[in-house]
Amino acid sequence: MDTSKHLAMDELLALRDGEGGASSRSHVEACDECRDELERLYQFQARLRAMPTFSPPRDVWPRVVHTVRRRRLRRRLNYGVLGLAAAAALTAVVVLRGPAVDEGDQPSDSWTAEASSLDMGPVILRSRQLESLLQTYRPAQRVYDAPTALAVSVLEDRIVLLDQMLSEGRVVGADRAVMLGLWGERVATLETLVGLQAVQEDRVWR
Amino acid sequence: MPPQLISKLLIEADGSGPYVAFEHGFRAYLAQATIFSPHASIQGEMKSDALSLANAEVARARAGDLEALEAVYRAFRAPVYNLGRRMCGNEEDAEDVLQETFLEVCRSIGRFRGDGSLWSWVRQVAVSKSLMLLRRERGRAGSRGPLPPDSLGTSPPEPTAPIDLEAALGRLSPVTRSVLWLHDVEGYTHEEIGEMMGGTASFSKSQLSRAHKRLREWLG
Repeated sequence: MDTSKHLAMDELLALRDGEGGASSRSHVEACDECRDELERLYQFQARLRAMPTFSPPRDVWPRVVHTVRRRRLRRRLNYGVLGLAAAAALTAVVVLRGPAVDEGDQPSDSWTAEASSLDMGPVILRSRQLESLLQTYRPAQRVYDAPTALAVSVLEDRIVLLDQMLSEGRVVGADRAVMLGLWGERVATLETLVGLQAVQEDRVWR
Repeated sequence: MPPQLISKLLIEADGSGPYVAFEHGFRAYLAQATIFSPHASIQGEMKSDALSLANAEVARARAGDLEALEAVYRAFRAPVYNLGRRMCGNEEDAEDVLQETFLEVCRSIGRFRGDGSLWSWVRQVAVSKSLMLLRRERGRAGSRGPLPPDSLGTSPPEPTAPIDLEAALGRLSPVTRSVLWLHDVEGYTHEEIGEMMGGTASFSKSQLSRAHKRLREWLG
């Protein structure tokens, strides 16, 4: 067999990967040089797979989770604006008629359900009003100075935490005083956040 | 059995036809046997982390539970970071890949249907983020269109002294290096690589061939 014309790299790689043609296989059987090259490719692949690994940095997850919480909060705030009118209407019903009678229908919004079942309409309505107000202060591309950014971030995280506690409270059926306390704290945090945004807005316009 | 020992045994054997055929078949089997290894030396670590992920935890992660998502992160952060590091070639970009990958995982894990392994799904996200980063870097340099193949014009000067494998990989263009890594280490097919890079299987094959030629020149 003529072994003067050696296999090209792509032919050797195809052989290594079990895809080579019959002529390439016969060539390798007869040609020491190409067989050595093929062997080298196998060894090289093993070397690549055995290369040392790098240790990932330790502080990435906190950044990921912070961004995820912010995104969730933002999404929730967006829903809050849409739900504002519904909450206001429900509160009016609660005030005029008293708590709604459970007729077997599942409410579409757990907050409005809470407002009706625990008679907390006013505090929930206030919470939603503040969220709506916050939206007017929060353009998509807001740039804060560093201390404000930190404060906003801490307050937003606090709201996420309070929401988690409220959610758990609903699951375990916490009593009205506990839920009211959490809602009150949520309103207070939102008020601080709105105040911070208002100051920031004032700075921008000056 | 260590690959070096297998090589030694095979080299010492007589290179007759049937034996060579068996050798190739056996090698192909070995290559397939480790095809799911993202990186052989972290395979054990990843497996033990991934095994610690109970089905219930994955289900909670799919429902958006942050503690369960953190468990997913801890199970796969090392292979994701290493994949990003190998494709992009530096720490900063690998860290970006790690962060962007898990942001996407947190956002989209609900879409993971569970018909393949979770690692395969996470790895696909990581590859996609790495390629996006490479495209973005290229965009900053003023180029547009699909990822470019390695070209002589963009290669650094030939090394004057012997270099090791790590340095040699660093000298390859990001695209050529990525093809090499995705195919030879991660086990993606040329068709899959071509599709992910906006090219064809032939593009992937030619890049792999180019990578091996260059490494052969540099490493001997």
